[in-house]
Amino acid sequence: MSSKTLKYILKRIAMAILTIWIVITVTFFVMRAVPGGPFLSEKAVSEAAQKALEAKYGMDKPLMVQYFTYLKDIVTKFDFGPSIKLRGRMVIDVIIDGMRTSVKLGVCAAAIALVFGVVLGAVAALRRNGFADKVIMVLTTAFISMPSFIIGSLMVLILSVKLGWFPANGETAKGLILPVIALSLSPMANITRLTRSSMLDVLGQDYIRTARAKGVPPMKIIFGHALKNSLIPVITYVGPMLAYIVTGSLVIEQVFAVPGIGRAFVSSITGRDYPLIMGTTIVLATLIVIMNLVSDILYKLVDPRINLE
Amino acid sequence: MKKLICMVLALAMVLGLAACGGSTTTAPAATNAPAAAGETAAPAAATSDSINVCIASEPDTLDPALNSAVDGATLTSHLFAGLAKWAQDADGNLIIAPDCATELTEGVENEDGTVTYTYTLRDGLKWSDGQDLTAGDFAFAWKRAASTALGADYGYMFEVVKGYPDELAVEATDDKTLVVTLNNAVAYWNELMAFPAYFPVREDVVANEGWATDPSTYISNGAYTMTGWTHNSVITLTKNDDFYDAANVTMKEINFYLSDDANNMLSNFKNGEWLLIDDVPTNEIPALKEQYPDEFKVEGQIGTYYVCWNINEDILPADSGLTGVEAENAKAEIRNAITLLYDRNYIVEEIAQGGQVPASSFVPMGMTDADGSQFYKNAGHNDGFDGYYDVSEDAYEANYEAAIETLKKYYTYDESTGMFTNFPTLTYLYNTSEGHKAIGEYLSSALASVGITMNLENQEWNTFLNTRKNGDYSVARNGWLADYNDPISFLDMWVTGSGNNDAQFGKGANKDVKAYSLDLSDLGYDVNVVNGTWAETYDVIIGLIKSCTDTAKRYELMHRAEDLLMSTGCIVPLYFYTDIYMLDSSVHGFFSNPLGYKYFMNCTIG
Repeated sequence: MSSKTLKYILKRIAMAILTIWIVITVTFFVMRAVPGGPFLSEKAVSEAAQKALEAKYGMDKPLMVQYFTYLKDIVTKFDFGPSIKLRGRMVIDVIIDGMRTSVKLGVCAAAIALVFGVVLGAVAALRRNGFADKVIMVLTTAFISMPSFIIGSLMVLILSVKLGWFPANGETAKGLILPVIALSLSPMANITRLTRSSMLDVLGQDYIRTARAKGVPPMKIIFGHALKNSLIPVITYVGPMLAYIVTGSLVIEQVFAVPGIGRAFVSSITGRDYPLIMGTTIVLATLIVIMNLVSDILYKLVDPRINLE
Repeated sequence: MKKLICMVLALAMVLGLAACGGSTTTAPAATNAPAAAGETAAPAAATSDSINVCIASEPDTLDPALNSAVDGATLTSHLFAGLAKWAQDADGNLIIAPDCATELTEGVENEDGTVTYTYTLRDGLKWSDGQDLTAGDFAFAWKRAASTALGADYGYMFEVVKGYPDELAVEATDDKTLVVTLNNAVAYWNELMAFPAYFPVREDVVANEGWATDPSTYISNGAYTMTGWTHNSVITLTKNDDFYDAANVTMKEINFYLSDDANNMLSNFKNGEWLLIDDVPTNEIPALKEQYPDEFKVEGQIGTYYVCWNINEDILPADSGLTGVEAENAKAEIRNAITLLYDRNYIVEEIAQGGQVPASSFVPMGMTDADGSQFYKNAGHNDGFDGYYDVSEDAYEANYEAAIETLKKYYTYDESTGMFTNFPTLTYLYNTSEGHKAIGEYLSSALASVGITMNLENQEWNTFLNTRKNGDYSVARNGWLADYNDPISFLDMWVTGSGNNDAQFGKGANKDVKAYSLDLSDLGYDVNVVNGTWAETYDVIIGLIKSCTDTAKRYELMHRAEDLLMSTGCIVPLYFYTDIYMLDSSVHGFFSNPLGYKYFMNCTIG
């Protein structure tokens, strides 16, 4: 690894930290500017009790003091504090609980997108302009252009409510099937198209023609030479894809009632659970930043021709 | 480099597949924990001493003092035993029976009017970790629940106890004797003691802030112990064999599945996995009533769905020229006329569809009066109908005509179109929900038919609460559910300083409005106010109710308070709530109370 590459990586890490700090700051102040508060409920507590609760959670101090205390706790102790609404639970525990489900959902979706995307892309390239190619291209165009929440809602409507084949919520293992599919369709379609065009590109290369002329069996050409090289653009897509899956799962978890971190994130906002809003935002933002970072670095490692500056 | 790429890619795929496979195998793997996924539900339901139910999604808290939700109350009522409990007598009627107390004693009135109750605990009461339960645990729990420091939503349930909130007059004189002093005799005191906020907790247990979030630290004293809690999935309660009344607990295990998706609940009910579900999709109600006539249950729930006016909203036409008392009385008359334009039968039959009852008073059906009759039937003192106006289907046309006549006194009416032309535009505020929206649309269209424009505005729940509480609205959706069977829980929320005084009585411009009258001289009180402020009238009568020890007089005062409240026209009751649930016909021994709590301990299946 050259010093230039190292410098680039360090610079990107610094940028990532800066990004996360900006996210924390903006979220903190915007969140507090929104009307309502964590202690509002249909049955109002007395003013004295409200004051006592505010003091308990340090919300009686000036906003700037709270902000710096929060930053300090995060940086020095990695302490997200207690949840206000889910009394007795720590934000980090709620996040870990949610992550268990969300990671399962996200990793499955990513794996399905990769496997099926590559296979379908290869098939489409090898059957160029054939029937299979046309069907695959129409479907992928549809999946790319339809937002996941539309696909998800349609799936719930048809497969769960009308036909009753799958549960409408993702609280069980079986219930995760539909959300995984809904979440994976769009990245899978992207990968299919990427694989197809890059495979077509590779199949036209001189070394493939040479291999064919030398009498190498077609299967060996495809798997031994063509596919391997046509996967380079796919790898660079993995980072953005994972970022897409993280943000996409926010919506999908709502549509399918999956008890993951995305759902915790949304309910923390409706409940004005300030520490939980901050905790989930930071975790999700960090995930996305890291994935983009990894993707950029991988990009450079995979293809040295790319200019880092 | 290519090798590296291949390895990275292969690794990613293998990891992905491994994780993917993991998700399908975790369910069977988890079956040794009581918190299993859906697959294990069916066999569990088939055995007769275990029941799977779904009453709501993940509870915010299962600390009995902090809980303010109906589902949390159901769970804690199985896990804890207070001094009193809801139970069924031999005829199946609901009663309040002694639980940890040997009997529910009568109070002794002290010289200063306060009332002291002395309770003796049963022998052999234990916590689920084997320690003895003492009267001191009750005293500690009550003081904690009421305290300002805890700030529980239901802290005010201890308002009747002397010294509330921070000097609560409750003491354990020895390990088995609890002495508590109330400000005055309270008709619903025994019922309060059956409320989760009054359940005992132990000081060393709750010292750990997270005690109520994990089965290993959840020490309780009731019919069940918590043996599993997979967050967002299922809570398992297992019969506590050390419970003093264990002989009468027939259900060995209860799995409370956690879901807030009514469609999901229904499909699990239909395939027999869950034997009780506490919610159904609104649009399925007509079909379910037909398909499951014995299993679709509608029970009365003590609560009122209503529309709330901001009393400070100026609704008079710009050129009315009315001021002071006249203007205030005119506004009240107008609001009370608009109330009659709504067809409540249409709302409950066509929109809400859950067997709700059209309402004509704020204190709901289910609240009992001094003589044991229904309070709402005696409200309004009218012959021929209950409440403050006749909401029967036959009366609607006459109501409508009367309303138009009243409104004509204040607004320009175009006889040719049947429209009022100078009614100021209103905005109806509701929290985002399809159900509230449908009702808002009906209310708006009913007014539009006479030329009154009422726009709809929805806000997300927390913002909505804030807006409504601060009085930044003209007309808003509202609802109130009882916490105990006494009308005061619907009346004291409207005193000037109440945090639930959404109508803004006695606040803002209304603070100085002298337009309310109260004459209680016939009841022996030295109160006769003509055109006083809200604080001089309503706040006074609520104060009198709270200190009144004569039951008949107290209920008469509550009727007078409701009369005054309803005369403002700010409170527009639409319907009384019902509790809808589905119960499998194989389940016997189940009961629920008017607060919506469900009880499974005496259930059998077969």
